[in-house]
Amino acid sequence: MKNLIRSAVALTLCYILPNVPTYAQLPFDEILMPKGEICAAVIYENSKWDQYWEGDYLRENANIGTFTRQMLMPMVAVGITNKINIIAFLPYVSTAASAGTQVGQSGVQDLNISLKAEWLNQQVGKGNLMFLTNTHFSTPVGNYLSDYMPFSIGAGAPELGLRGIGAYRMDNGLVFRATMAYLWRGQTEIERDYYYQDGSVYSPFMNVPNALNIHGAIGYWTLENRLRLEATYMSLNCLSGDDIRSYNRPQPTNKMEVSQIGVWTQYYINADKGLGAIAYFNHTLSGRNSGKANTIGLGLTYQFKVY
Amino acid sequence: MKKYILSHFSLILALFLLSSCLEETPSFLEFEDYNFENIDEEGGTWQTILISNPAQVGIPQPEPVNSTSYQAELDEIKLIMADISPSEKQAIAYWGNNPVIRWNEIALEMAAKYNLIPGPNPDGTYTLPNPGNPVGPPAFPFAHPPYTSRMLAYLSVAQFDALVVAWHYKFQYRRDAPYQNDPSIVSAYASSNLPAFPSHGATVAKVSKDILTMMFPLEAGFLEEKYQEHIKSIKQAGINVSSDIDAGILIAEEVVKLAKSRASTDGMAKAQAPKPVSDSLANAAFERFGWMWQNTEVPKRPVGLTPLFGQVKMWHVPSVEEVRSPPPPAIGSPQFEEDVKELKKYAAHMTIAQRRIANWWEDGIGSYTPPGHWNKFAKISIVKNKLNPLRAARVFAYMNTAIMDAGVACWDTKYYYHYPRPVESISGFKTILGTPNFPAYTSGHSTFSAAGAEVLSYIFPEEASQFSAWAEEAAVSRIYGGIHYRFDAEEGVTQGKKVGTYAVKKAKEDGAR
Repeated sequence: MKNLIRSAVALTLCYILPNVPTYAQLPFDEILMPKGEICAAVIYENSKWDQYWEGDYLRENANIGTFTRQMLMPMVAVGITNKINIIAFLPYVSTAASAGTQVGQSGVQDLNISLKAEWLNQQVGKGNLMFLTNTHFSTPVGNYLSDYMPFSIGAGAPELGLRGIGAYRMDNGLVFRATMAYLWRGQTEIERDYYYQDGSVYSPFMNVPNALNIHGAIGYWTLENRLRLEATYMSLNCLSGDDIRSYNRPQPTNKMEVSQIGVWTQYYINADKGLGAIAYFNHTLSGRNSGKANTIGLGLTYQFKVY
Repeated sequence: MKKYILSHFSLILALFLLSSCLEETPSFLEFEDYNFENIDEEGGTWQTILISNPAQVGIPQPEPVNSTSYQAELDEIKLIMADISPSEKQAIAYWGNNPVIRWNEIALEMAAKYNLIPGPNPDGTYTLPNPGNPVGPPAFPFAHPPYTSRMLAYLSVAQFDALVVAWHYKFQYRRDAPYQNDPSIVSAYASSNLPAFPSHGATVAKVSKDILTMMFPLEAGFLEEKYQEHIKSIKQAGINVSSDIDAGILIAEEVVKLAKSRASTDGMAKAQAPKPVSDSLANAAFERFGWMWQNTEVPKRPVGLTPLFGQVKMWHVPSVEEVRSPPPPAIGSPQFEEDVKELKKYAAHMTIAQRRIANWWEDGIGSYTPPGHWNKFAKISIVKNKLNPLRAARVFAYMNTAIMDAGVACWDTKYYYHYPRPVESISGFKTILGTPNFPAYTSGHSTFSAAGAEVLSYIFPEEASQFSAWAEEAAVSRIYGGIHYRFDAEEGVTQGKKVGTYAVKKAKEDGAR
């Protein structure tokens, strides 16, 4: 379960919010929820930036001041078998700027459903070597406008992602994990039928660039497997797209890049059943066409067996 | 595990299906080559705008089609046509037989590329784009709506005048196209009885390249490439020989001189007034009316956008005072309060339809501006009505001069009344569109659009109700966007319509039926 929560949070990584990296934290991890168990969770996340990258130029904008993005994300995860889990979540997102005259946006963002499976789990030396995959699909719910950046709450496009997760969990509680995902993004429908992307485009649709998403973590389980601590790294790199033009607003076609480091903790009050808590923090190291955000997240989880 | 493999397979299938249903994102208007509905034999007699008389532009008499030199020219294009690469074939299809459309699109693309407002320097000051140092930063120009309206006016007027001259000589000399003089030459386009000498394509190419290079000096290289590609495509399409093209270029050169001369003295160079002049306009309004608009950005911009654009020379209106709007409702008056209430209502609750209208008409920073939007409408109607290049140029010339005149009238009114924006007059008010850097009354979108609609409705009467509906929608879009009061928009439409009638009156008398 624990991992499921983290997986889910990691799933939010798949959202592209080009100037507001909402990347919660942690990649999918190496653990699966057992068959017949369900975990329900709610995560609150608060992300702020007062500098952003226009192309690769880090700048401030006094007409934005400090940009804040808040997210409340209900989530559910189900252990279909011991080797296959399904996860679904649907965030509510709200944005605002401390300066300027433009209003923020809020609403229900994208529904995300994913299937996680374990392919390898084998004792090697003083630990277990694991390989898992996670396949997800997400699509916008409601009618939020993606072409209202930096305020838009999402990219407004469907996404399919395939993630490979490799991990080595040592018997002494240390975990090493690396994951890589390819994110295929579709188009977002906007409300104008002409826009500029390295030239004229006569269409009410924007192509949201595909991306590579990498995670790395070193974790440690302690207190009889009730507390997990992780140091994390995350990067997201769009494989195409244009840069934000000089002193212009961003748009969903932008080539967004971001890399973050962070910490993640998870605590289970009663071993692996019942109530648990999550807290995480992420700091943006570098980026392109995105905000230099610091993000904190807090969550509650409840796990129970149904069959 | 089998189940899992199956589900992955179905995901890959889904990905494939999703890919195949992606919408196209074309970079130009896609249309089929068409037969001109009319070749306008009398086109050479139409009233021009810049030049007094087509005969004022002299070109050498063409050689007869049975001359050795013309036959050699035919041999030259046959040789060129025998060896066309796939990319050249694409270029021939792209330029088509009405290249006025393509050069207008290139102009709109330049507008969108250069419509970027200069940001502040680290010390909080702003640097203005400088034609003396176009590289900047900031790059020159800032192709804001007044700049773009003027750019399109000069482009279209020069194209139109040069094509009237071309038509004058086409029907004086009546030298046919290569494909009519030599049956072994097959034109890439629908055949027509339009004489080929002088080449109208070359005229349009040269005029457009020169005017756009004047307006966008940093694009000289790009425009030269487009020009070369266009000229080459004319020969490869089998519609003109070298001497047709040379004569077309000669006409263009003469007309461009006149256009440049008018542009250098029309007052645009002084439109971005220095701070003391700008302040004196604001103070004059404050003394007269008790209010004044101020820029609300941080850091504050010291001067609004082109305070003296209202003094730029108009095309069809004798004096800008004739079309200056009456005073707006005073701040705090019942009319003002009513319109403020309406703005607050939309801010608190906006329907999806209203939001779409606000965004569809935003045409803000980074876009081709409202004048560009109307040029797109004009293109669609031109293609639908199968207009020849001269007719097409006439549409653009009258529409774009009317739109520029509307901009001049609107800017005169804006800086005369210096009316504050809703974000200034309503405390805590926030908007879904960015508030522009100039006074509110009257609305630029409304005046540009109403003037454009007025001209297009005259030329395409069967579509008049659509144009007028669009103009009304453009006006109201600014209210939904929270950046204009209803009285800005409504008076803007009235003003734009009025300005448009001056252009229509000229068009009615220019000799084209």
